[in-house]
Amino acid sequence: MLLRLKGGRCYDPAHGVDGVVRDLFVRDGVIIEPPPPGTRIEREIDLSGRVVMAGAIDMHTHIGGGKLNIARAMLPEDHRADPVAATAITRPSAGRAAPGTLATGYRYAEMGYTACFEPAILPVNARQAHMEMGDTPIVDKGGYVMLGSDDFLLRLLAAGAEQQLINDYVAWILNATHCIGIKVVNPGGISAFKFNQRRMDLDEQHPRYGVTPRDILRVLSRAVHELGVPHPLHVHSSNLGLPGNVDTTLGTIQASEGLPIHLTHIQFHSYGTEGDRKFSSAAARIAEAINATPNATCDVGQVLFGQTVTASGDSMAQHRNSGLANPGKFVIMDIECDAGCGVLPFKYRDQNFVNALQWAIGLEIFLLVQDPWRVFLTTDHPNGAPFTSYPHLIRLLMDRSFRKDRLAAINPAAQALTTLGTLDREYTLYEIAILTRAAPARLLGIASLGHLGPGAAADITVYRDDADRERMFAAPEYVFKDGELVVEQGRIVKLTWGRYHAVRPDYDRGIERRLREYCERYLTIRADHLRITEEEMHAFGHGAAVVPHPCRARS
Amino acid sequence: MPGLRLTLQAVPPERVDLSPLTPDRIAGRSRAEVAALPLASGNRSLRVDAVFKLAGDPGPELVIEGDGSRLDRIGEAMTQGSIRLRGNAGAWLGVGMCGGTIEVEGSAGAYAGSGMQGGLLHVHQHAGDFLAAAAPGDHQGMRGGVLVVSGNAGARAGDRMRRGTLIIDGDVGDCCASRMVAGTIAVGGAVGRNAGLAMRRGTLLLRRPPAALLPTFNDCGVQVVPILRLLARAWRGLPGPFASLSAGDLRARRSMGDLANGGRGEILILLPD
Ligand SMILES: [Zn+2]
Repeated sequence: MLLRLKGGRCYDPAHGVDGVVRDLFVRDGVIIEPPPPGTRIEREIDLSGRVVMAGAIDMHTHIGGGKLNIARAMLPEDHRADPVAATAITRPSAGRAAPGTLATGYRYAEMGYTACFEPAILPVNARQAHMEMGDTPIVDKGGYVMLGSDDFLLRLLAAGAEQQLINDYVAWILNATHCIGIKVVNPGGISAFKFNQRRMDLDEQHPRYGVTPRDILRVLSRAVHELGVPHPLHVHSSNLGLPGNVDTTLGTIQASEGLPIHLTHIQFHSYGTEGDRKFSSAAARIAEAINATPNATCDVGQVLFGQTVTASGDSMAQHRNSGLANPGKFVIMDIECDAGCGVLPFKYRDQNFVNALQWAIGLEIFLLVQDPWRVFLTTDHPNGAPFTSYPHLIRLLMDRSFRKDRLAAINPAAQALTTLGTLDREYTLYEIAILTRAAPARLLGIASLGHLGPGAAADITVYRDDADRERMFAAPEYVFKDGELVVEQGRIVKLTWGRYHAVRPDYDRGIERRLREYCERYLTIRADHLRITEEEMHAFGHGAAVVPHPCRARS
Repeated sequence: MPGLRLTLQAVPPERVDLSPLTPDRIAGRSRAEVAALPLASGNRSLRVDAVFKLAGDPGPELVIEGDGSRLDRIGEAMTQGSIRLRGNAGAWLGVGMCGGTIEVEGSAGAYAGSGMQGGLLHVHQHAGDFLAAAAPGDHQGMRGGVLVVSGNAGARAGDRMRRGTLIIDGDVGDCCASRMVAGTIAVGGAVGRNAGLAMRRGTLLLRRPPAALLPTFNDCGVQVVPILRLLARAWRGLPGPFASLSAGDLRARRSMGDLANGGRGEILILLPD
């Protein structure tokens, strides 16, 4: 079927298209070149006056895996308070901070998002994570698999293993878990926590293995680079949430030694120690470093006020914060020899000095990082705020007077310590399209997403232009997924299941013998069972395909 | 009293969420508007007039007639007015209720009075498990108000109760006052096993001695308990026999516990005067 989307105002930064009125043509789920005149158009939708973008991509959102399920189990009140009713084609679900898989997919799609990437999949939990993500309707999915505090890697490093062996291990893990990138969380720190260490600095030696977080970052970023995995090493730095952690973060940027590095939820890593309360914004220093380091990218992890839940692999940081849980309940747990996790509900309050300053720091980073291709729009769902608050965040970025009104309402001591009131930048629609479409697709190495050119998957979001950007981005008029109209006037009209995105770098199979021995001896699961088959992935994802994206090995 | 009367047309095939129908929530609407309100039932939505016959007009009193065993969340979070059920109620009766009165002429299901904060809830017959208890995931059960059950109640009555008065004239099941934080529970009949399990503070007042107390309760002997006189005065006018507690010196056998959880709660066993 040939579909023409007629006369919409298109924002397609991947092709430099900034608000140009043009027609889009879609056939078999793909955007195609305009067909020759006289070609029969089977369906036409008039989009005149509408804003058209590719489907949005959330490149860092916790939507599946062990800790999310713990959060769901811990927060029945979140589900009771926020039911999602069934319709003729959708099933009931619930939850806002820790939504069920169905509510997650429906609500992302209703906001015009068509791809979501889960950033913390543990190899030993990957099957469970993919089952949940597979049961998340409409959106495409992908995951970053978490290494860096796993005993296998730390043993290799302690024994002085060659880079090639590490590369083989990293590649084997990516293949076995069907992930698209490598994440490292508090490198080595989650393991050190198990040896009773409660803090770990960038150059501090692991109490058992003797390696430092910097060693781990260097080796893993090199592995990702040499394997040719498009997505840079995805780094949750050491010392999350600690006043003064800005120095650790700047050191972390250097630790990749010029190789690409992505710093996630950087807001939580941009704190100074100035002022009476020894807690201040270091956003300016962080933004300056990002601006000066072309190999570095970041997503913000914006805090927005209200009830949410924090779920992180960083059991060290979560254990430190456990007294702040609201309501007062939390889980800190070890996950075999792989890593750990910590889940605690949290309420960010605008009259709380620290929370208010966190809010301001995130916005400062958005406004001070100059290159919109290297800063990504996230709340680290649900850690800074549930993903459903993205439209509100977009309005804060696009509407200076709205932002200043909100700033005037937060804790006065925090107002005094932020430069936010002097930042007049307003994001344009074109820049929002970069942050939420073009840049994430490019950073992930997915050629078919995030743009409106021929060959792109026909994931298209159509908004009513509205000066109130929050209202505009909350409820797109139409959302197409692979050319099918899935959302109309803010309501799901068709159910699809998306696909998985993965990478399959080559490796020397010699690594398998070592892994078999190791798993047999130390883990509850064998190496051959860690590996998820493609048939399993199809079954988890309601028949969804796993799309491998090319890796160009370098050495 | 002026008000709306809802008569069940038949026992509904699935459970129906009645939380939209409280006197304060339907105040100011016409009968026709109330008739068109949606009620969640399973994964469907039903109009009020598909479930009930309506008579009268919305006012401070709401009367529900018929076997309401499948009507859940009656009176949820209501703040004023009164609801009278001429029959049974389902689960979550008066959950989060803040004010007003609910009278159930029959029995109530599980979790009646859970998270209740104020008002008077009276069940003339029996109540199910988790009476005045915390909902799963919540830190507190009943937080205020008065809840009277004239018949028996199931297990875990008063679980995580924080404040308010819970009176059960009949028997009560196992683990009464479990994890209780504060407040007062009075039981007229027999009490099941493990009363006061993990109780932190609060008072469990028994007319009859239980078969056994948990070993983590410490017997403090027979005492004159002056607070009972104040309770007796406060309870006058309530339905049931606890309203006529003797106002004279009330003596009770006092045990403190649960020692496994701070041990500042008490179980008082009334002695005949
Ligand atoms: Zn995260």
